[in-house]
Parts: sequence; C-alpha cells; structure tokens
Amino acid sequence: MDTPLIEALARQAGLERALAEFPDCVMAAAKQAIGRSSEINTPTSPAVEPWPPMKVGGGA
Amino acid sequence: MSDDLAWLTATQAGRAFAARKLSPTELVRALLARIGKLDPQLNAFIRVDAEGALAAAATAEAEIAAGRHRGPLHGVPVGIKDIIDVVGLPTTCHSRVMPNTPAAADAVVVGKLRQAGAVIMGKLSTHEFAIGGPSFDLPWPPARNPWNREHHPGGSSSGSGVGLGAGFFPLALGTDTGGSVRNPASACGIVGLKPTYGLVSRRGVFPLAFSLDHVGPMTRDVADNALLLDAIAGHDPHDPGSAPAPRQHFAAGLERGVRGLRIGFVRHFHERDIPADPEVAAGLEQVARTLAGEGATLSDIVLPNLNEFAAVNRVILNAEAWTIHAPWLRARPGDYGMLARRRLMPGAFLTAGDLLAAQRRRTEMIAAVDAALEEVDVLLCASSMDPPSRIEDAEETARTYPRQARAPFNTTGHPALAMQAGLSRAGLPLSVQFVARHFADATLFQVARAWERASGVDRLNPALG
Repeated sequence: MDTPLIEALARQAGLERALAEFPDCVMAAAKQAIGRSSEINTPTSPAVEPWPPMKVGGGA
Repeated sequence: MSDDLAWLTATQAGRAFAARKLSPTELVRALLARIGKLDPQLNAFIRVDAEGALAAAATAEAEIAAGRHRGPLHGVPVGIKDIIDVVGLPTTCHSRVMPNTPAAADAVVVGKLRQAGAVIMGKLSTHEFAIGGPSFDLPWPPARNPWNREHHPGGSSSGSGVGLGAGFFPLALGTDTGGSVRNPASACGIVGLKPTYGLVSRRGVFPLAFSLDHVGPMTRDVADNALLLDAIAGHDPHDPGSAPAPRQHFAAGLERGVRGLRIGFVRHFHERDIPADPEVAAGLEQVARTLAGEGATLSDIVLPNLNEFAAVNRVILNAEAWTIHAPWLRARPGDYGMLARRRLMPGAFLTAGDLLAAQRRRTEMIAAVDAALEEVDVLLCASSMDPPSRIEDAEETARTYPRQARAPFNTTGHPALAMQAGLSRAGLPLSVQFVARHFADATLFQVARAWERASGVDRLNPALG
C-alpha cells in the first residue's frame, strides 16, 4: 500500500478529518477499493455499454 | 401465550380473523408480550410501537366485525426494517448519524401495507445504513440469531429475520443491495425474496446503492411471502427505478409443483468459485434430489465466476453509497460505527474507469443470466457458503460474510429467493437460493413451495425460553 498516495487521495476526497481521527479506517477503505477493478473482465467490445443505459423521456 | 399464536402464519391468522376465532387485538397483545419477554436477549427491535400496533389492531378488528374486510393481511402484524419510513417514527438506520425526528410520511411499501390493513409492530434492527454490522459500537446492540443467540442472524435486515424466527410477527419488510434480505433469511431459517428490480417501490427507503437496492418480503413460509409481495408490488411513477410491469397475483400458482420445470443447478458457485462448507453443499444436493423427485428436470448451468460477480457488485455499491454518504463522512466520521465507516469510504478511492468497467461488465452479466434462463426455468444455487458465524467472533464473521452467492442477482436484477435447506448438526439453519427470469417471481414461489412441502422446513422453529 502506498500510504502517501492514499493520504493524498483521501485529502482530495475531503476526508481530512477521517484521516486524522480514523487513519486505520481510511487505509482499510482504500485497500478495499484499489485494484478491485482488476478482478473484473472489462468488456473488450466497444459495443458493450454501461448498465443502466441512458434513456430519455417520451417527449412533449 | 401459547406457542400456537407465536407461530401462526399470516395466512392462518387471516383465516382465524375472518372466522372470528381470533381477533387482531388478541394476537397483537400476545405477540407484544412475547416480544417483551424474549427481545431483550435477541434485539430484533429498535423500537416497539405497542400503542400504534394496538390502535391499528382495534381498527382492523372493528372493520372486520363490520364486514369491511380488506383482504388477507387485514389485522396481520408486520415488522419494518428501520431504514424504511413509517410516519411518526424516526428512521434511525441503526445509526447515530440520523436525526431523531419522526418520518413525515410512510414509505410507499408501508402505505400499501396500511391500505391492506396490516398492523405495524415497530422498527427493526439492521446493520448500520444496511452495510455496517454486526456492530457493538452503535446506540443499539446487534440482533442475535434465534436458533442460537451466540450466532449472527445475518444482515443487514437482521431484525426482520430474527423477529420472524423468534415468532414476534409473521411478516416483515427487509431491503437487499448485496443480499441483505436473503442473508438473514438463510441464517434464521425463514423465507426471503429479493424481487425483480423495479417491481417494488423504494420511495421512502433510505438508499444504500440506487441501482442495486430492492425492498423484499420476509416471512416464515412461502405462501405468506407471496401474499406480502402481492400487497407491496406495483409501479410507482415517482421511483426512478420502478418498472411499469403488469399486475400479477403472486400467490395464485403456489401449489402447481415442479413437474416439467427445468431447473439449472449452478454448482460451480459453491464447488469451485467459493467452496462451501460440506454441510451447506450436502443441503443443496438434498434440495436438488428432492426437486428431481418431485418431477423437475435438473441440469448443470454455468454463469460467470462468483468472485467476479462480487467485484462488480462491490464497485457499483461502493461508488453509489459514497455519493450518498460523502458529506457526512467528511464532516462527522466519528458518528459512524467502525464497520460502516470502513465499508462506506471505499468509493472515495475508486476511479471513473473502475465504475464504468463494472457497469459495462454488468451489462454482460445480465445477458449471461438471461441466456441461462432461456435454457432452464429456474436456477438453484447456494445462498450462504457457511452456517451462521459466531456473532462475537469478528474474524469469523469477516471471513464468512463475503462467502455468499446473493450479490450476483442484485447486479443483474433477477428475482432471487433464499430459504431454509434443513439444519446443520449444530442445529443452525442451512440455506438454498432459487433465481428466475425478470418478473417471473411467481415461478420462484412455485419452486420454493414444492421444496417446502416436500421437506417440511416451514415446520422447524427454534426452541426459545
């Protein structure tokens, strides 16, 4: 874990107070998030759109 | 009170009311006495609304006596998870973060229950904000398993599962974002349904993750679950996720049996992806053999890896939950319990690329489950991979909590029902899960009822002092 990087990301997210009062929680949260997308087989086809798809209303 | 009243199903209670053999007030008084005696050891309730329940029971009694019968839930007690608004009562979310002010209006599902004449018993324990638990650092203690109070009752709809398992009420509402109706259903030996996404309104329910949240019925048997879904389902034009699905009568086909149905057994979830406890695996085999014996055709089905389903669910859940909780986590992180704080902050560290990768893979996962459900009518798979953990063993709970196969169907929106698959040698509930096509929730009830009828699991209740 890159502690300075996590601290910088936490500050950028506005978590200064959590970082000061609960640094272990901030580190644990970051550990859960960072690298998680590596467990996902990201679709290779550009035709695969995110869910839910964009939908507009029925118009006037 | 006699145990007969504690274990009455909603169906039985409704019939007894209609036949004037029992009154709603008698039942509510008996259940309040039982709650007063047993709940101090089980902590199912955040708040018992005895006054409101007795008033509603008296109204129901008068209406039934006057011949104005509202239907099968008229006068029947129900418990409400405390992230769902009930007018006049605070929605605590089991957290000191929430203001102690009464909700101004009922959630849509609560309003529908009132219309049906149900009697609201009070607000039920949950994991903090439906994610942080079991926790011992909150204003209310965590709920405990009625089969053995040293064990976790599952979560996050813990109080709903405990109260049903303990005979405090025959109906409850829970919510399910990564499995939170089906986990306590599995751990407490009851029936919990995560309906098709969009079938039940979420308006008036504190959100955890918008695109994964569901409100679901929890009961002691399958027939009651169908009745409760009948009462709460329906399009809500003010809920952005609500589906304009045709009205259905979910309790209609319960006794059709499974002869001729094709059931796909997703073995790799519990055999390869997350190997299950041997007793859990044996329970699943028993369910499969029984349903085959009842005339279903069983075959093996392959879906994407369970661990990848979990990763997609978690990235989306973390991102959506962060957008809801970020202002409070920035300003007052100390007001959260430790587990909620740790589970709600990961979204701060995800990238836009992480979220889009998960959302795009979700599209493919929905298609994969849809394709599987073209080959078969229903999927059979594990719910929990382990019997309930010891509640005060934080390591065991942390190890076993993610070992589950429920999150895939929050990700895909398919209806999924968890129920008891018998008991372990230690006397704790084992579980099974059934999954169906979008809006085929009624087919789940048909299969679940066939298993229930053949196994008699609905007749197993914990021995409580």
